[in-house]
Amino acid sequence: MQNTVLLEKLQEIAGKKRVSTSTADLYCYSCDASQIRGMPDFVIRPDTTKQVSEIVKLAYDNDISITARGAGTGLAGGAVPVEGGIVLDMSAMNHLVEMDLDNLQVVVEPGIVQEKLNAELEPYGFFFPPDPGSSAMCTLGGLIANNGSGMRSVKYGTTRNYVLGLEVVLADGTIINTGSKTMKSVAGYSLTDLFVGSEGTLGIITRATLKVRALPQERSVLLASFEDPELAGKAVVKVLSSGIVPSACEILDSNIIQAINAYDPHIGIPEVGAILLFEVDGTENSVREGIEMIEDVCKSLAIDIKTAANKEERDEIWAARRLVGAAVSRLDPMRTRVYVGEDIGVPIKEIPKMLHKVREISEEFDLPIMTYGHIGDGNLHTGMCIDVMEDGDWEKLNSAADKIHHTAINMGGTVTAEHGVGGARSEYLELELGKALDVMMIIKKALDPKGILNPGKMGV
Amino acid sequence: MDHDMRSILKCVRCGTCRSVCPVFDVVGWESAGARGRMLVAHGVSMGLEADKDVLDSLNMCTTCGLCEQLCPSGAAPPEVVENTRHQLVLHGKMTDAQREIAGRANELGNALGEEKERMDWLGESAKDVTEKADYVFFAGCLGSYRYPELTKRTFDILTKFGVTVLKEEVCCGSPLLRTGSDPSELVSKNLEQIKKTGAHTIITGCAGCFTALKNDYPEDLKVVHVTEFLAERLAEMDLKKLDLKVSYHDPCHLGRCNGVFDAPRGLITAVSDLEEMESNREKARCCGAGGGVLKGYPELSLELSKRRLEEMPEDVDYLITACPLCRTNLKRGEPKVEILDIIDLLEMAME
Repeated sequence: MQNTVLLEKLQEIAGKKRVSTSTADLYCYSCDASQIRGMPDFVIRPDTTKQVSEIVKLAYDNDISITARGAGTGLAGGAVPVEGGIVLDMSAMNHLVEMDLDNLQVVVEPGIVQEKLNAELEPYGFFFPPDPGSSAMCTLGGLIANNGSGMRSVKYGTTRNYVLGLEVVLADGTIINTGSKTMKSVAGYSLTDLFVGSEGTLGIITRATLKVRALPQERSVLLASFEDPELAGKAVVKVLSSGIVPSACEILDSNIIQAINAYDPHIGIPEVGAILLFEVDGTENSVREGIEMIEDVCKSLAIDIKTAANKEERDEIWAARRLVGAAVSRLDPMRTRVYVGEDIGVPIKEIPKMLHKVREISEEFDLPIMTYGHIGDGNLHTGMCIDVMEDGDWEKLNSAADKIHHTAINMGGTVTAEHGVGGARSEYLELELGKALDVMMIIKKALDPKGILNPGKMGV
Repeated sequence: MDHDMRSILKCVRCGTCRSVCPVFDVVGWESAGARGRMLVAHGVSMGLEADKDVLDSLNMCTTCGLCEQLCPSGAAPPEVVENTRHQLVLHGKMTDAQREIAGRANELGNALGEEKERMDWLGESAKDVTEKADYVFFAGCLGSYRYPELTKRTFDILTKFGVTVLKEEVCCGSPLLRTGSDPSELVSKNLEQIKKTGAHTIITGCAGCFTALKNDYPEDLKVVHVTEFLAERLAEMDLKKLDLKVSYHDPCHLGRCNGVFDAPRGLITAVSDLEEMESNREKARCCGAGGGVLKGYPELSLELSKRRLEEMPEDVDYLITACPLCRTNLKRGEPKVEILDIIDLLEMAME
């Protein structure tokens, strides 16, 4: 079918205002925050499941690629149409469909923004725990499709732990529902789990039933300063094996500390080798006890320990931590943060070793690498800033990233703990997954025989 | 060009601006948000043809600067947008609205298309205009043509502090600067007259004039907003406290872009009770008029105004602002209460 005919059909399905082929739009939907690029032929902003189903069916019948996109905040190219075709911008399907708080759940459309969902839940004393740095703009659909998590995963787990059921449009346009409204169900294969984290390669998520949690009464933050990141890594292992479950456990290395202070000078975080931020939540008593225990455990390794004086100070620290990914660009006006090799995970015990390796790689390539991340679950973000107008810098960056990925895999770790594989990390999947990748291929073939759903991603 | 490219590449495309860009909030397409505009600007600098949609993407920005305020990586989308508009205008690529703004301002001395005598607002206060003075009150196009009474009252308050006006004032150049055209002819007309008065300071009541005079005129010219000028002279004004509760809309180009937050609040709280809008000061949402959007995209501008008005507290008597353009557009949004300039409020406290 010719593109002009297709355009008419798409306009018939979604309405003229929801379909664009303008140069400006195609250009804007050709990337996310990663270095992956691909120009779409059509961008559509559907607002009903029916429209999505009809669009996918049309794409299926005409062998057109279709790539779903939430807020396009991804760091691995998951929402980039590398083979052209249709981009489905799901952000217009952004309604909170149902609040069923007696059953501890909500039903949402995929375009709802994480922070907006939580703003709706807060007055009722509930929250959706997975809390990525991008919570102010990322959508639930993107979180589910990438199994995103963030700062609270050390206690609350990842998005997967909160998805009870999904409405999914399959490659041929069929609409299915997975899971159930019950907190437990073992009826059949867990298809919900199959679609969570499948990055739009198996189906398009059009609705989700999510578990929510009661907001904790109290939260407190402790800042522990260390001479170097390795000592901080040791403290984390000690804390986690002492029976305390912090609700967040973040590491900031010295470069990151400078970046935060540059972004907001009045936060004034101590300029030391590394800082661990621990958050404990729960009842007033359990929070006090948890903070005391962490203090006790860290004492022998830390230079200094202090707790946030009040809610304002605590919120400020978290707000700054959230933005740090991009804020590292502020350290040097000639350098820009590039998201490559930024999401490794290693077994908790290997954290100090991995931190040491990152430092070695930084020296080997003469490339400043800033480390921060959810050290409590072994997830480290290695932030590299380069002069993006220097070709030599790009080469160094890619070589360093490659080495970081291989080092993580060799330690029994992963190339991506929460950002996703997308188009940026496909090449490592064979090494990391071995024969399990063959099983993924079989699943992909079964659910998407024509290979139209987000092609070129996830190594399938 | 290298500098421009560097500014564009400062954006790491994290998408934080999606959470604050008021235009994106209304339109929803990526090309209508700050990140999208940075991409489009990048495209244009790489030779992307500036068709209508490219021009719309770039020209829908009100240059409110909320994205820049919150940008973690330190990018400045309004500056990139204005520079790209300028580059395109140099090549004859512009919207009808941009062409009309520049044409009217250069031909008539005002972007509104008014052919009447600009200084008519003076009325009998013309007698107070002196050749020489330490201060010049810059009335602005909207002040002169749309709010002549307010402008006259402002001048009358100011005369006792040794203030005069420019007899042949023309548009400050702000509408041209924001929309990518060259303001230099207007700038030199005003500058010449300012020099003749011997004034060291310019006073203006318009946020658009304020930012243009402050940032695009020679650096040795001191520029203050009328609220700053009066806040320093509160004691000399003999104001009584009114039994009123008001809210205040921060004009983007006065507040966020130039840091004037306290002076207007000082004046307001001297005569009334102030209850802040939901977003205020550095994070205040835009009224929707700036950057040529009111002229070029009136429907979008209206929707932006309505959304800003939704942030107003329930039980206030007036919404106060300190910019005639904000006032005009907020009025379009059909507010529940009357919208006044700070000067109107002060006048009430003088009676």
